[in-house]
Amino acid sequence: MSPTTLEVKQLKKTFQEDLILNDLSFQLNKGEILSVVGPSGSGKTTLLRVLAGLESPTNGSLWMNGKDITATKANRRDISLVFQQPLLFPHMTVKENIAYGAKVSKKYSKPKIERLMEAIGMSRYRDHFPSEISGGQQQRTALARAMATEPEVILFDEPFSSLDPALRQDLRYWVRDFLVEQKTTALFVTHDMEEAMIMGDQIAVFQDGEFQQIGDASVLHHSPANQKVASFMGGHLILNENEFVPLAEIHLSTLEGVETRTFKGRLEHLTYQHGRPVAHISVPALASRVALPVGKFTADTEEVTLHIPTSCIQRFEVNHHE
Amino acid sequence: MKSFSLKPYLLFLPSVLFMLLPLYGLLTAVLNSFGRHRGWTLDYYRQIFESKRFVMSLAFSLQTALIATLLSILIGLVLTRSFYPILEKITPRVSVWIPMLFPHFVWGYLVILLLSETGVAAQLLTAAGWISDPQHFPVLTRDPHGIGIILTYVWKEVPLVILMLLPVYASIRPEYYALVDTLGGSVWNRITAVELPHLLPVLMETSLIIFSFTLSAYEVPALLGTTFPEMVSVLSYDWFYGSSWQKRPLAFAAMVSISFVLLVLSFIGYGYLNKARWRAVKGNRS
Repeated sequence: MSPTTLEVKQLKKTFQEDLILNDLSFQLNKGEILSVVGPSGSGKTTLLRVLAGLESPTNGSLWMNGKDITATKANRRDISLVFQQPLLFPHMTVKENIAYGAKVSKKYSKPKIERLMEAIGMSRYRDHFPSEISGGQQQRTALARAMATEPEVILFDEPFSSLDPALRQDLRYWVRDFLVEQKTTALFVTHDMEEAMIMGDQIAVFQDGEFQQIGDASVLHHSPANQKVASFMGGHLILNENEFVPLAEIHLSTLEGVETRTFKGRLEHLTYQHGRPVAHISVPALASRVALPVGKFTADTEEVTLHIPTSCIQRFEVNHHE
Repeated sequence: MKSFSLKPYLLFLPSVLFMLLPLYGLLTAVLNSFGRHRGWTLDYYRQIFESKRFVMSLAFSLQTALIATLLSILIGLVLTRSFYPILEKITPRVSVWIPMLFPHFVWGYLVILLLSETGVAAQLLTAAGWISDPQHFPVLTRDPHGIGIILTYVWKEVPLVILMLLPVYASIRPEYYALVDTLGGSVWNRITAVELPHLLPVLMETSLIIFSFTLSAYEVPALLGTTFPEMVSVLSYDWFYGSSWQKRPLAFAAMVSISFVLLVLSFIGYGYLNKARWRAVKGNRS
C-alpha cells in the first residue's frame, strides 16, 4: 500500500455558533485522488481552506508525511489550491504565470515550465496574456501554475464550475488523466456527483460537517450508508429512514407472481436523458419526487402506480464506512 | 454604410471649450518665450539657462517637488494599505479627506501657525519644558531646504493619494492573496504580484498630478519659501510682475520649460502604461 501523504485527525471548525467541520478524520495516500461531494454551502470550501492553511481549525490536527502541519502557515505548506476561478495574474503571460508559481516556491527550472506548458497544451500560447485566452485555457494554466510548485497535495475547489458544460466535460477527463500521469495526490471538491465519480478514486459524501460515507462509485450506489448518501447519489427511491429501493427495480406496470409494495404517483414531466425517456413522478405518500428512466412510456394518464418488488427493498448500512 | 455621426464630436465640444483658455495661454506663452513681438529668438532660453539663479531655482524646485511627491505617495500608500478596511466606512474616510477642503494657501498659513518659530508647536514645547525658548525650535518654515513647502504639500496631498488609491484597494479580490499564500509567496509577493499591477496606473497618474502641481504652484512657496533658493514659480512671478517689463519673456521661457518637463514625463508615463502588459490588466486585447 502507498504511504500516507496527508492525514486529518478529528478536524473541527466552527464559525461563531455554526459547526462547519465536525470531527472529520481521513487520510490520503500518495497518488490517490479523493473526490469530496456535497451540497452547496455544506462547508466543502472551508475544508479546503483549512487544509491549505488559509483558515485555522478550531480543533484537531493535520499531518503531512508524518509531520504535524496544523500550525504551519499556508505559504510553508506543500499544498496547492486550484480555485473556482482561474485567478491568473492579468499582467503576466501564460508562461510567466506558470513560472511565477515555481519561482515563489523556489522550485523554478526552465525545462519544468516548458514540460508543464507542453502537458497542458499551451506552448503556442505561452506569450499570451490571460485576457487573450479562453476560460478552459485559463483554468489549465492555473492548474499548471499550481503544479509548478511541486506540491505534495493539490486541492481543487470546484475548478470547472465557471465553464460551459461541453468544456467542463472535456476538462474533467483531461485533469483526471493529467493527475494520474503526474502521480499527484489530490482532493477534488465538487457539488456534482457525476464529476466526483469521474475525478476521484474514492468519493467522500460530505454533509452536515462530516463524511457520510467514503467509497468508490459502485459502493456508494449499491450500499449507501444512509438517507443523505442515497438522496445525493440520486439512483434510489428512499422509502423511509431505513429502507430504499434502486430506481432500476421500480416498475410502472403490475408484476405477476411477485410480492410488491405499491405507491400512487403523478407524472409531472417526461424528459430525455442519454437517449432514454425519464418520467418525473411525484409520490405524495413519500413526499418526494423521483426521476425514473423508463424503457417505453405509453401511459396516457397522469396517474401512475409504482410497483416495487419487496425482495428488492434494501436497508441502509448502519455502520457507514469511515 | 456607416453614416456620419455628429454625436461624438458634440460630446467632445465641452472639453474643447474648457481647454480653449489654458491652451491659448500655453500657446501665447510659447510664442512670447520665442520673442514673438521682438523677432524670433532663442535668446530668452539661453539667458535663463545661463542664469545661476534660474538653474539653482530649477534644481531646488525639482528636488522639492520630487520629495513632496514621493513622500505623499509613500505615506498615502502605507496609510491606505494599512487602513483601507476602516477607510471604507464613511466617517473615517471623510475625516481623512478634510484637508482637501482647504485651499493650499490656507493650509500654508496653518503650517506657519503650527510650525514656525513662534508657532503653536514651539510654544507648547517651551511650556512643556522640552526647549528653553521658542527661538530654539528648528526652522521648519521659510527654510532654505524647502521643509515647510514639503510639509504643507505632503499634508495636503496625502488625502488625495488616499482618495485615488482607496477604490483600487477595494477592488482587489481577496482570493488573489489566498492564491499567493498557497503558491508559497510572502507578504512581499502579495504586494508585487497582486497589488502593484492594480496600483501602478493610479500611482503613476497621481504622482504626475502631484509633481506637476508642486513643481509649478505659486502660493505655498511664496508663503513658506525663502528668497534663495526659490521655487521656479516664485521666480517667474517675480520676472513677470517685476519692475522691468524686459524680464517678462524670461518668465514665459521658465514656465514653458517647466511645462516641457511635465509633458515629457507624462508621455513617458503613459507610454509605459500603454505597453501590452498593462493594457492586458484592463482586459484589452493587444
